[in-house]
Amino acid sequence: MSGPSAPSTRPREPFDRRIARAVQAVTGRALGPHQTAIVRIGFSLTWLVFLLRELPHRHEMYGPDGPWSWELARRLTADNRAFTVLMWSDGRVWFEVVYGLAVLSAALLLVGWHTRAVSVVFMVGVLSLQNRSVFLGDGGDNVLHLAAIYLVLTRCGQVWSLDARRAARRSASRAAGKADRGPREDIAGPLLWTVLGGFLLATTWFSDITGEWWLPVLLWVLWLGHGLWWLVCRLAPGEPRTLLDVLANLTHNAALVVIMAEVCLIYATAGWYKIQGSRWQDGTALYYPLHLDYFSPWPALSELLGASGIMVLLLTYGTVIVQIAFPFTLFHRKAKNVLLVAMMLEHAGIAVLLGLPVFSLAMISADAVFLPTAFLVALGARVARGRDRVLGRRSAGTLPEQRRAGEEHGPRTLVG
Amino acid sequence: MDADVGRDIDADVDRGVETGAETGTDAAETGVDAGVEPGVESVPAGSGGGIMALSLPYQVVAAVALAVAGVFVCVHLAMVFLHVAPSNTLTKRHGQAVDDWIYPEFEQNWKLFAPNPLQQNVSVEVRAEVVTAGDGRRTTDWIDLTAQDAEAIRHNPLPSHTQQNELRRAVDFYLNSHSDDGTPNGTRGQLSEDYMRRIAMLRLDGLASLEGADVRRVQLRAVTRPVPAPRWSTEKNDHTASYRDFPWWRVTDADLPDGAARSRAEAAAPSRTEASR
Repeated sequence: MSGPSAPSTRPREPFDRRIARAVQAVTGRALGPHQTAIVRIGFSLTWLVFLLRELPHRHEMYGPDGPWSWELARRLTADNRAFTVLMWSDGRVWFEVVYGLAVLSAALLLVGWHTRAVSVVFMVGVLSLQNRSVFLGDGGDNVLHLAAIYLVLTRCGQVWSLDARRAARRSASRAAGKADRGPREDIAGPLLWTVLGGFLLATTWFSDITGEWWLPVLLWVLWLGHGLWWLVCRLAPGEPRTLLDVLANLTHNAALVVIMAEVCLIYATAGWYKIQGSRWQDGTALYYPLHLDYFSPWPALSELLGASGIMVLLLTYGTVIVQIAFPFTLFHRKAKNVLLVAMMLEHAGIAVLLGLPVFSLAMISADAVFLPTAFLVALGARVARGRDRVLGRRSAGTLPEQRRAGEEHGPRTLVG
Repeated sequence: MDADVGRDIDADVDRGVETGAETGTDAAETGVDAGVEPGVESVPAGSGGGIMALSLPYQVVAAVALAVAGVFVCVHLAMVFLHVAPSNTLTKRHGQAVDDWIYPEFEQNWKLFAPNPLQQNVSVEVRAEVVTAGDGRRTTDWIDLTAQDAEAIRHNPLPSHTQQNELRRAVDFYLNSHSDDGTPNGTRGQLSEDYMRRIAMLRLDGLASLEGADVRRVQLRAVTRPVPAPRWSTEKNDHTASYRDFPWWRVTDADLPDGAARSRAEAAAPSRTEASR
């Protein structure tokens, strides 16, 4: 619909027209539907894997009687005002409820069930558990913490979600001439909204021990916004609905920019601080983490890699070069993709070598925001075919997706 | 090259499939049928959407929203940049404003293994003064708690945060919140002492050798052992261990793994922990 003009006409287009087209693009569409979806899937999978892996350790990590006890957390959060609903009660039951909801929200966000509402619960779960025991986290938790907040502002369920499937079925039945809002109208949405309203009231009630003021305000805005959207869709489907759609697109696109900039800042910071270190300069840096007790799950493998001075030098310099170069390669599509592969492979290596699989999965999820649309679409089609084969279903409808991929590939944007 | 990424991502997505990560095929139908981006909240069919589809008053609202979003993104990114950047003219002048914006939810640290990777193994060891029914009061040998962690991480494809981060970051927190002579800096110093003591008691609680013994006092120490220089390096580093002893601490009920609940009941008196020392 927002059919970008052919690349050949672009240079001749007057400046004001280009601005108008850009404004129309950021208000008319939620850009990067596949990228935001893969980021959503990546981070929800990361958190789900993490929570399930830590299930036996959950009391020690976040429970009221863990080493970082509820009382210690209360004294710290009273000082730093971090958001956590675990401060509402020191009861074991409340803790189990919050942990359970965190697991549930991660699973539901993964499959994209009522994505926006669930993403809010996901954020509350991530913030509550992480802020409850801040001294347990590492870089992976840190990036997940940020992503959980930013994802709330995106329309990350546009593709690869149960929501998208429901929307597709609805529009298919509409096209077939059936009554649109018949008996099969979704009641889970309004129900979810009501339940979350209850939680919101509780958050407001406990606002002096829950964290800083802006998070409850954000939750209220989101909750009221949902209610308004529901009403407007039914009572004023004309311009008011288009306006709300524009506001949601704007918020999505702004959040997407922030997510992409965050990834750049992560690599820029990691790279630029490294070149100031003597070990990164003399090319031996990689050797040291391989010989730390906490980061050498496979000593033989670490020993093998660390045995060659040249290998260590190449990997050490390579890491610094890739990290510093990455933000600048965004201006060149091919170079960006090459570095993206390099960084993802490096993180896959870190997952095994340094024993940091959750950290690596979180970082790869963040990197995924820069994956090319054509690749993501092809990946989606392949996964769909695989799923159909496994389930013995007849594969149907892959062709339109391919065709659409061709169209999407047109504008060579950062996101594309 | 894309195929390489494919292998990476495949692994992740494959795991998502069975839980029902609905793939592009379904969504594509909407995109084609309605001619709009497939989406839950896609614009009504027939309407082009975007700011062009609005009348002037609505356009004004949309334009204001665009401006607000733009400013917000710029300010936020500037704040995050200043937060991760080294101390500079701006942060020296307006550091408080940056901190107010960033903390606590947007705090971040990406100096991953930078400027230099850690080049020493820091181990935490503990010894306890115990009273047993049979032979009275005695002091145990030093028990290496970090070695327990290392043992748990060895050959473990998915180490737990309790093994990899708990003790490691707790001792970091302790060392950062104490001056060199061991005096705690403010609240955080106090908190880190309570935390270290509770971790130590939890670990001691699981030891068979202390079965039935009543732990009266504990002492911790941090042992720093430099990683030996690589064999292929001409460098010779000194790899003798250095020790930093923490003070002896009297153990109270609040330090016991199951004692937190009990102590909370009497937490009405906030000076209790200080008084008990």
